[in-house]
Amino acid sequence: MQKKYIEEVSTGKSKLSRSVNTLCSMVVRNVRNQYRNSVLGILWTVLNPLLNMIVIAFVFSRILDVNKGINLFYPVYLLSGNTVFGLLRTATTTSLPCIVNNYDLLSKTRIPHEIFPLSNVLSAVVNFFFSFIALCIVMLISINKPGVGFHATLLMTFLPFLPALILFCLGISFILSTVYIRFRDISHIYSVVLTLWMYLTPLFYSLDMMDKHETAKTVLKINPMYHYVTYFRDLVMGQVPSLLSHAIIYAWGIGICAIGYMIFHFSKKKFLLHI
Amino acid sequence: MSDEINVQTIPITDAIAKPQELPLVEVNDVTMRFRMPTEKIDNLKEFFIKFVKRKIQYEDLVVLKNISFHINRGESVGILGRNGAGKSTLLKLISGIIEPTSGSIIVRGSIVPLLKLGAGFDSNATGKENIFLNGAMLGFSKKEMQEKYDSIVEFSELGKFIHMPLKNYSSGMLARLGFSIAVDVSPDLLIIDEILAVGDAPFQKKCADKIASLQEKGTTLLLVSHNAAQVKRLCKTALWIKDGEIVMYDDAIKVSDAYAADCQTQKS
Repeated sequence: MQKKYIEEVSTGKSKLSRSVNTLCSMVVRNVRNQYRNSVLGILWTVLNPLLNMIVIAFVFSRILDVNKGINLFYPVYLLSGNTVFGLLRTATTTSLPCIVNNYDLLSKTRIPHEIFPLSNVLSAVVNFFFSFIALCIVMLISINKPGVGFHATLLMTFLPFLPALILFCLGISFILSTVYIRFRDISHIYSVVLTLWMYLTPLFYSLDMMDKHETAKTVLKINPMYHYVTYFRDLVMGQVPSLLSHAIIYAWGIGICAIGYMIFHFSKKKFLLHI
Repeated sequence: MSDEINVQTIPITDAIAKPQELPLVEVNDVTMRFRMPTEKIDNLKEFFIKFVKRKIQYEDLVVLKNISFHINRGESVGILGRNGAGKSTLLKLISGIIEPTSGSIIVRGSIVPLLKLGAGFDSNATGKENIFLNGAMLGFSKKEMQEKYDSIVEFSELGKFIHMPLKNYSSGMLARLGFSIAVDVSPDLLIIDEILAVGDAPFQKKCADKIASLQEKGTTLLLVSHNAAQVKRLCKTALWIKDGEIVMYDDAIKVSDAYAADCQTQKS
C-alpha cells in the first residue's frame, strides 16, 4: 500500500492564517448570536451572571445560611466560583454537539476540525471576561465588606490562571464532541454529570464546613475544578497561590488537553462517516 | 476483498501541451473504501448489546478503484457519471476534505472547492455578516473582504436585502450569495460540484460568463455534472466515471457523446 499523501503547495494563504481568520469570525458570530434580537443585547453578558449571583446569594446566605467558614463577602465568594465554573459549563456544553451540528461545513470545506471545539471554548472565554466585569462591579459595590478589595493578584487571572483553565476546558470539549458523534446519549449523561460536578465543587459552600468528614474532603480535592476555583479565589483575596497550586492546575490542563486532543485527532478521519 | 482491479489508464492525447511543466493535479492509483456498519448504531445501549453478541457487521464499500489521472494547468476538466458513481468523493479527495484509503493525490496550487453553496451560512446573521464569515473560511482576512465586499454585493444582485437576516432569504437568493462569495477569488483550481443551476436564467448566464473569465485568467476548472451538454460547453477534456472506475478520459465532446449514448441505452 502506498503512503497516503496529499500535498498542496499553496500559492495563497498559509493554512494557519486561514484558520485564525475563521476562528476569529466564528467566535464573534457565536457571541453575537447569543444575544441577537434582545433589547439589551451585549449588556446581558454582564447582567446575566450578576442577576444569577443575586438569586443564588439570596437563597444560600439568607435561607440556607451556609456562609460558615468563609472569610470573604458571600456574594463575591459565590460569584468568583461561578465565574470559573461557568467557563467550563459554557465551553463544554456548546462544544458537545459542535462537530455534528457543523456537518455541512466539515463535509464541504477544508476547515480544520479542531476549529469547532476551539471556537466554542474561546466564545466561552469571551463570556468569562464579561462575567469578570460583573465580578468587578460587585466587588466595587461591596468594597467595605470583609475580604473584598482590588489586589494586584487579580491580574494573575489572565496569565497563569486562564491558559490552564482553557486547556482543561478544551480537552473536555475535544472528548465530548468526539464521543457525541457515535453516542448521542452522552449529551443527556453529561448534563447530569455536570450538575453533580457543580455540587462537588465548593461554589456556594466552603471545604471548612466538612471538617468532620475527612473522607469527603479528600474526595472533593480530587476534583480538578476544586483547584481551579480555589486558585481563582486566592487571586480575588489577594493571595499568591502556592507553587503546588500552579503545578496542579497546569498538570490537569495540559494532561486533559493532551488526552482530549489525541482522542479527537485519531478519530477525526472517521467523523464524516459516523455522523 | 480483492484489490486487483485492472487499472484503466487512458493516454491523454492533446492535454500535454507543456511536457516539461508538472501537472496541476496528479491522482495516482487512488482507492477509496468506506467501512460502514450495516446498521446505524448511535446509542450506548445498542452498541453494548451488539458488541457482546458480536453482531456489529461491517460492509466495505469501494467508492473509487485505482483511479489515476493528471490535470494540467489551464485545462478544464468535466467529470461525468451517474449518481453514486464516485464523482463527489473524487472531488472531496482532490479538495483535501477526506484522505484516500490508498494512493496519492498531489495538487500544486491553491484550491477553492465549491462543493456546496453557502456551506456554513448562519441563518440568524445578515447577508453582510455572512459574507465576512464565509470569506474567512475561504482564507481571507477582514481587510481583504472589505475590499471585495462591494463587488460581491453587486454580483449577487441582492441590493438592500444584504442587511437582512439570512433566514428571510429565498433559496435562490441564498445560492446567489454563496456563488458570489465563492467566485470572487481567482484560485489555481476551482472545483464545482453541480451547483451551476442556481438562480434564474440571467443569473445563470452571469455565472457562466464569470467562469469563462476565470478560465481566461488561467484558472483550471474541475466540474462535476451528470449533464453532458454542460460539460461540453465549459470543458475541454472530460472524465467519465462508472462504478468507481474510469471509463474514458479524453476530449470533452467525445466523452460527452459516449456518456449520453450510454445513458440512452440504460433507459431503454
